[in-house]
Amino acid sequence: MAGRTIVITSGKGGVGKTTTVANIGTALAKKGHSVVLLDADIGLRNLDVVMGLENRIVYNLVDIVEGKCRKEQAMIRDRKLPSLHIVPSAQTREKDAVQPDQMKALCAELAEEFDYVLIDCPAGIERGFKNAVAGAEAAIVVTTPEVSAIRDADRVIGLLEANLLRDIHLIVNRMNLRMVKQGDMMSTNDIVSLLAVPLIGVVPESGEVVISTNRGIPLVHQKGSEAGRAFSNIAARLDGEGVPLEDDHKKSFMERVKDFLWS
Amino acid sequence: MKRDGTPPLQIKAHREGFILAPDAGASFSAIRSCLEHRLDDAGDFFQGSDMVLDLGRRPFAADEIVQLRELLEGKAQVRLVEVWLGPELDGLLSWASRGLGIPLRRTAVAEKEDEAPRPVVVRHTCRSGTRIESPADCFIQGDVNPGAEVIAAGDIWIFGVLRGVAHAGAGGDRSACVRALSIQPNQIRIADLVAVPPKGEPSSARRFEMAEVREGRIQVITL
Repeated sequence: MAGRTIVITSGKGGVGKTTTVANIGTALAKKGHSVVLLDADIGLRNLDVVMGLENRIVYNLVDIVEGKCRKEQAMIRDRKLPSLHIVPSAQTREKDAVQPDQMKALCAELAEEFDYVLIDCPAGIERGFKNAVAGAEAAIVVTTPEVSAIRDADRVIGLLEANLLRDIHLIVNRMNLRMVKQGDMMSTNDIVSLLAVPLIGVVPESGEVVISTNRGIPLVHQKGSEAGRAFSNIAARLDGEGVPLEDDHKKSFMERVKDFLWS
Repeated sequence: MKRDGTPPLQIKAHREGFILAPDAGASFSAIRSCLEHRLDDAGDFFQGSDMVLDLGRRPFAADEIVQLRELLEGKAQVRLVEVWLGPELDGLLSWASRGLGIPLRRTAVAEKEDEAPRPVVVRHTCRSGTRIESPADCFIQGDVNPGAEVIAAGDIWIFGVLRGVAHAGAGGDRSACVRALSIQPNQIRIADLVAVPPKGEPSSARRFEMAEVREGRIQVITL
């Protein structure tokens, strides 16, 4: 059976798409799946850096599409997980180097060999976005609890729905529960009620993310990382496991006792 | 056959007989000879039947009709019972003028009053980037998210939360209003007036909220 092709997109830049792709991909590979991560951001590639594989790039996505190499030659295997590969993008080319049709064909080929094809979408809604979603059958929209990110996410969801891509889930990234409690940040419920797509996970704000990016080691490798655990949970939900969603409202001891007494 | 393959004449079956449909651009001689061949090839098939001549796409020409009728009656005893005309009646009018001896002319035909434009109904939430326009009223079954715009010449009814921009009475009608289950917009516009929501928490509506022009300003009433 062909693998699943999922595009991770957001509209807004800097909300954590690449981090999400790297971490979910790694978590799925840790569970034993064969996973390929496709960096569709031509000209501003980042996935290779986040995965710590930038020194190993020989060929890239544009080379495959232009027929200069076979796709196996461009794929780079992860240092730690043999079932995880990435197809890096081209840093010295631009978005028009690739057509949506070509992306669709490549993703279909990859889906025949891998359980999961995760496509890292660039920011924006123009050609880069169109290229990235062309080959996807499902989408994960990443947003932060911040007005402009949510506005852009709403726009992107509208565009995906207009393109008949209806299998859409939401990740709320960089959630800061303290700020929500203080009333300085939108709660997950507010965000989900506005965007009206099912939530697949909430990832807490964490300084560890920048460190892991700089080191090139995705957070899911790090035991004890809350953000890493959140990404692992998302991977588990993608796999069909019914992991309950993280609740914004961390219940106090007395509240939990009350729940217990009432139930 | 014309070079593009359309036959000069088609014969279609009809409830009470057949319809002769000559092609708009074919020459009359092509049509005539095509009909002759069809009648010859058909043997007894059309014998004694009734036919209608559909001139919906061809200009009216009385002599062509007469020739076709003679051909039909002569070859297959076919009765030409009706002729359908298209919207172009000049040919008919000039023929009738000649018969009458007085020129006939159509004065401006009184068009049926343009029906009042129908309201636009949208049965889903309007996401950011959506723009809905209506020449009359507009009904949205869902929310209007920030970054979405709804513009109507008449009233706007939103069965959801208005968070984007709504412009009622866009043609200049200050009596138009916006009604929504909750009004928390980026901007509300009625006719030529623009208003932004006051700072502070939006009030929670009991039933619904309505924005209308009172004393020259847009005011939102919560019900």
